[in-house]
Amino acid sequence: MEAPLTYARVDRDLLTTLRAPGRLYYALLAVDLAVLGWAIYAWRYQLTTGLGVAGITHPVMWAVYITNFVFWVGIAHSGTLISAILYLFRVRWRPPVYRSAEAVTVFALMTAGLFPIIHLGRPWYFYWLLPYPQMGGLWINFRSPLIWDVFAVLTYMTVSVIFFFTGLVPDVAVARDQATGWRRRIYGLLAQGWQGTDRQWRHYTSAYLLFAGLATALVVSVHSVVSWDFAMAILPGWHSTIFAPYFVAGAIHSGLAMVLALLIPLRRAFRLEAYLTPDHLERLAQLTIVTGLIVGYAYMVEYGMAWYTGDPAEQASFLWRATGHYAWAFWLMVGCNVLAPLGFCARQVRRSMPWLLGILANHGREAARTAARHPDPQRLAVRTPESPAVSAADAWFFLWFLLFAKTLPVVSLWEVKELLPVPRRDGRGPVQEGPAGRQP
Amino acid sequence: MNVTRRDFLKVLGTGAAASVTGCSAPLPDKLIPLVIPAEEVIPGEATWYATVCRECPAGCGMLVRTREGRAVKVEGNPDHPVNQGRLCARGQAAVQGLYNPDRIRQPLRRSGTGTLEPVSWEEAEQLLAGHVARLQAEGRPGRVAVVAPLVTGSLAQLIETWSQAVGGRPPLFVEPLAAHALRAANRLSFGLDAIPSYQIETLELLVSFSTDFLETWLSPVELARQFAAMRAPRAGRMGRFVYLGPRLSMTATNADEWLPLRPGTEGLAALGMVHLILSEGLGAGVPAEEAGRLRQLVAAYTPEAVERRTGLPARDLTRLARSLAQARPGLALGGGTVGTTRSATTTQVAVNLLNYVAGHVGRAIQFGPTSALGRAATYQELLGLVQAMARGEIDLLLLAGVNPLFSLPPAAGFQQALAKVPFVISTASFPDETAAHAHLVLPESTPLESWGDHTPWDGVHGLMQPATTPLYQTKPLGDVLLSVARRVGGAMAARLPWATFYDALRDRWRELQRRLAPATPFETFWAEALRRGGVWEAIPPKRVRLSPAVFRTTFVEPALSGSQDDPFVLLVYPSIFRYDGRGANRPWLQELPDPVTGMTWESWVEVNPQDARRLGITQGDLVALRSPHGQVELPAYLYAGVQPGVVAVPLGQGHTRYGRYAQGRGANPLALLPAEPEAPSGALPWLATRVRLTRTGRRQPLAIVGGSERQEGRGIAQSISLADLLRDHGAGGAARPGAAKDGADGHKAPPLYPPHPHPVHRWGMAIDLNACNGCGACVAACYAENNIPVVGKEQVAKGRVMSWIRIERFIEGPAERPETRFLPMLCQHCDNAPCEPVCPVYATYHNPEGLNAQVYNRCVGTRYCSNNCPYKVRRFNWFTHKWPEPLHLQLNPDVTVREMGVMEKCTFCVQRIKGGQARAKAEGRKLRDGEIVPACAQSCPAQAIVFGDLKDPQSEVARLARDPRGYRVLEELNTLPAITYLRKVQPGPLGS
Repeated sequence: MEAPLTYARVDRDLLTTLRAPGRLYYALLAVDLAVLGWAIYAWRYQLTTGLGVAGITHPVMWAVYITNFVFWVGIAHSGTLISAILYLFRVRWRPPVYRSAEAVTVFALMTAGLFPIIHLGRPWYFYWLLPYPQMGGLWINFRSPLIWDVFAVLTYMTVSVIFFFTGLVPDVAVARDQATGWRRRIYGLLAQGWQGTDRQWRHYTSAYLLFAGLATALVVSVHSVVSWDFAMAILPGWHSTIFAPYFVAGAIHSGLAMVLALLIPLRRAFRLEAYLTPDHLERLAQLTIVTGLIVGYAYMVEYGMAWYTGDPAEQASFLWRATGHYAWAFWLMVGCNVLAPLGFCARQVRRSMPWLLGILANHGREAARTAARHPDPQRLAVRTPESPAVSAADAWFFLWFLLFAKTLPVVSLWEVKELLPVPRRDGRGPVQEGPAGRQP
Repeated sequence: MNVTRRDFLKVLGTGAAASVTGCSAPLPDKLIPLVIPAEEVIPGEATWYATVCRECPAGCGMLVRTREGRAVKVEGNPDHPVNQGRLCARGQAAVQGLYNPDRIRQPLRRSGTGTLEPVSWEEAEQLLAGHVARLQAEGRPGRVAVVAPLVTGSLAQLIETWSQAVGGRPPLFVEPLAAHALRAANRLSFGLDAIPSYQIETLELLVSFSTDFLETWLSPVELARQFAAMRAPRAGRMGRFVYLGPRLSMTATNADEWLPLRPGTEGLAALGMVHLILSEGLGAGVPAEEAGRLRQLVAAYTPEAVERRTGLPARDLTRLARSLAQARPGLALGGGTVGTTRSATTTQVAVNLLNYVAGHVGRAIQFGPTSALGRAATYQELLGLVQAMARGEIDLLLLAGVNPLFSLPPAAGFQQALAKVPFVISTASFPDETAAHAHLVLPESTPLESWGDHTPWDGVHGLMQPATTPLYQTKPLGDVLLSVARRVGGAMAARLPWATFYDALRDRWRELQRRLAPATPFETFWAEALRRGGVWEAIPPKRVRLSPAVFRTTFVEPALSGSQDDPFVLLVYPSIFRYDGRGANRPWLQELPDPVTGMTWESWVEVNPQDARRLGITQGDLVALRSPHGQVELPAYLYAGVQPGVVAVPLGQGHTRYGRYAQGRGANPLALLPAEPEAPSGALPWLATRVRLTRTGRRQPLAIVGGSERQEGRGIAQSISLADLLRDHGAGGAARPGAAKDGADGHKAPPLYPPHPHPVHRWGMAIDLNACNGCGACVAACYAENNIPVVGKEQVAKGRVMSWIRIERFIEGPAERPETRFLPMLCQHCDNAPCEPVCPVYATYHNPEGLNAQVYNRCVGTRYCSNNCPYKVRRFNWFTHKWPEPLHLQLNPDVTVREMGVMEKCTFCVQRIKGGQARAKAEGRKLRDGEIVPACAQSCPAQAIVFGDLKDPQSEVARLARDPRGYRVLEELNTLPAITYLRKVQPGPLGS
């Protein structure tokens, strides 16, 4: 950076993202809406004709819809890791990254939440999975992992949304102060009367800490619960205790990839290179190495145990995945999730090619979901009608992210300002140089 | 559900409409149309009618369950001596003939433009009568010919009298699979022009020469029951079964040993065995002089010579011959369709001789009651008529429900000959190939809508009555003939004075009553016969002697058309479901997977894998088969059960008409066969030609149901040797320690949860793998009872077949000589069901009577239950399936019709359980064991499935659950199923 960053500069730089969008944005939006439109048409076809058009075949009853669900819930985890866990650890490079990461969480959960409904045979009765006081006194089956999913994901969604909007409050207040007309009113609503007084700040940071703590627990618990959809079944290949830590590690892994995949074009598009520096991206990449190694270890345990047990069904299940019809997906998964992130060990890679690798890891994760979750891949026929689901999910997610990028600050103003040296009231420079931290 | 209510109203409306439009005479408009007005008809309660199944010549007795005037299910008649309450899949599909959407609904006449136009019965009959009268007036009544299927009793009599009254040729009663060679051989061997009955229940050894008696031969339901009884281990013994032939058919897979033979050499093998028996002096009851002459006759057939010509190793032949001679009793069966060569008669004479020298004639073979099949017109006689037609000698041809354009080889020239007949009438109920060429179509009512009788065996007089008013403007054949006779008038009308066929039927039964029960008033006799389904007489067996003609027999190896360039011998075999093709328009019979290949909606050519590899053919490749007589294209199916150098094609597909389910599927192998009949018998030689195979380069997607053939050590279909069974458990079969009890068995750790309390009943089943022969009758019955949709070929190919019970076929050992085990797999109603805890909405739960209940209207379709079911018996409704009208009339009103998104599975026929409980409660008594029978158990011809209350220690099922042969499938998963399977018993090698 040429001139030292001031609060005003931060405000200006980071709020320019809220200006009227250019052609590229509208082009992206148009493509996105087109894909989404197609997806809605496809879903309507499925609703009226029957789930049979989705190409799922007996005995493999869960296919791309469920793997998509798991994938998107997983994506959400990394956002919460960054925004909540790294907050508790007071990690220094967190602030510019966390807002987009948390947005990824919220939108990923919104995306994931669609799929349990889409994959139902009779989705108009989806509310029967919710614990409402039904006339006949019939509650949900609390023993079912799908119900645990409902609780876990809804809890996660609730906490994440609250956390997200809470974190936005001081930034939205700045936007409110600079806005006019109906925008000012909306930002005003979101800002909830924020004035930036000491008292408000004290209460605010307490609340923020509380939500961060709540969300931290959820990072581990939610995807563990989702993994139990599979682990609680008796199917060979699914019924394994490694699933909870495996899924959580994988979730964070793919979530980091998603965050990287979004931040890198974002910083170019909005010219935020000063805020989202190569150092930040490097840190994210390094985290990816760690999670990649954990995921690699989990694969080794999962498949190694299958061999070690000597159970013919387990071994057959593994062999089908590694050498059968969908072997390409299996090996793509291993390559993308374990081997590719090891590229980040090289400093140049960390600082210059993270985008490509991020995408790779992302898609590796998707392939993982498809390949790894099918006990009998010979029977699986992923047919055309299911691919709208994948594109639909991407389109829906991306739509919300696009809208977010233009309506809310993508980098957290107040947290970035916290990193800056505190300015003197007379405006003649900082009180002291050095690391962030408020002076008493 | 609203679907059921709507359908109920629709049905009532249709029922009312049918009663109005039924016949030419206007019927009173009643809400509940009935043919016999009953005093107590309660909507919601079924009325049962006894009749006879006419889906094949076996003539099993049938009970038709009707609700609100419509037939919804058919079952076997327990009183009928042939099937004793059981019914095969073809019988179950009879309702799909009645409600077939492609039925011809009114008479049709060929117009000037060549199309078939609807016409009234009045006009149609007048037209026919006019033709007949004209021919009589012109003094050329001999130019009238009638061809009918093999009917017996009153209708046969009527047709004969009618033909005589017309002055036409004697009518031909044809049946394509009538075992003519068997009859001719009996004439030659024993001087009896008949097909005997066989008693196989008590046999020690049964040997079959290419005779598929469990599938389509003679009386499959009867023989299946007897076969299962023969195989049951009793007092340390069980009957053995050896099959000789070139193809491992479904019947052969039930054998202890399959001894492959070169095609067409069954007779030689039999002669070799005769030679051995005589040369070793094992021919017990044969008089010395006869033995000497027989020895001379078979002198050339030493075991070594036979081995050279048949491929049967001499030591196997020796072993088998000795065992057959020593068996008390034993039987050699021959005369099956697939082995009918140009030497079929002498082949069968050889088998007769084998039975004779081994001493089994008069014991296992009884010439007292003979089969109606022995009275069918031969193929040669029919060919004679075809030739007469070709010569222009026939002016009026009445084809009464036969389809020669499909069931005769094209080489016979029927189509060309038909063109020479100026007036062709067909009485087909369905638009088949022959009806498409007729000038006048007078559609017959289906057997379920008609009066009649059928005598499949001497002394078994089955009585048929309509179970429902005719759906359309169709008339029974008998009524049509009488009506036409009346219109012709004169002497003809005088000879046929009855107003309707019903009257003719009753008159004939008056004769029966006079003979069998002279003291009983006729109306009582008649009512009792209607209730029981017929009257049965005991026919004493005849003494049988060897006829001198047999010694003049010259045995020749059968000739085959084709040259050196035709490397494969063609085997044509009747399909267990489609028979000779008549069942191809019933959707269940298309969707049921073939027991051996698992194929649906298709026909195919079976090629040995070695041959396939050599020719570069993979499964699904479309190959062209060419014989000197014709060519067809079929997809290839690789099967180690056909010998190298042999290809096999099932009969029954290849229809060019016959409705939406039959049309355009597979190919008719008759196109490859020659026209010449086999000389002494006049039979059509099915095994008569060689063919060449060429790849067309195209492929055909195949819809095969079934997973892996191999168990891979999972112990799903288990067997036990007879020796082990005796050693471990003694002949009486005491329970072994730790043997299956109701509930946890052999598990070391106690379960986490307390067991389900079953306060009153716990429903369970026992399935005997030793009895199950893979026929699929249970599957068809389940389809009928539980409104299971037919999904069609494309969906079957995606694994979405909806059957709640399936027959799993596993093989052990080498694929060339496999040991086959059939296992009916259905919902096990586990006490510790994996599907129950995972359903988020409680759509599946464990009910207090032990059933795993599926609540359709609660299911949201997450499909977790199906994922978690280790038996994979749960079926998901991927679509809302439709039943094209009027097939929806067959729907059982006691069972919900499911919509898309809902999971379904076997319910142990909970509607029958509830019905039985309601009945018992209304009558103020407890349920009796055996009172509630699910559809599968009810229909199984082998009586392999037993259902009952596991909590009742006296019940059959509880006793079987304690049987030493009992085990549970996938027991190690601790699902605690309610179904006990009884291990298949291996008797061990012959001679042990």
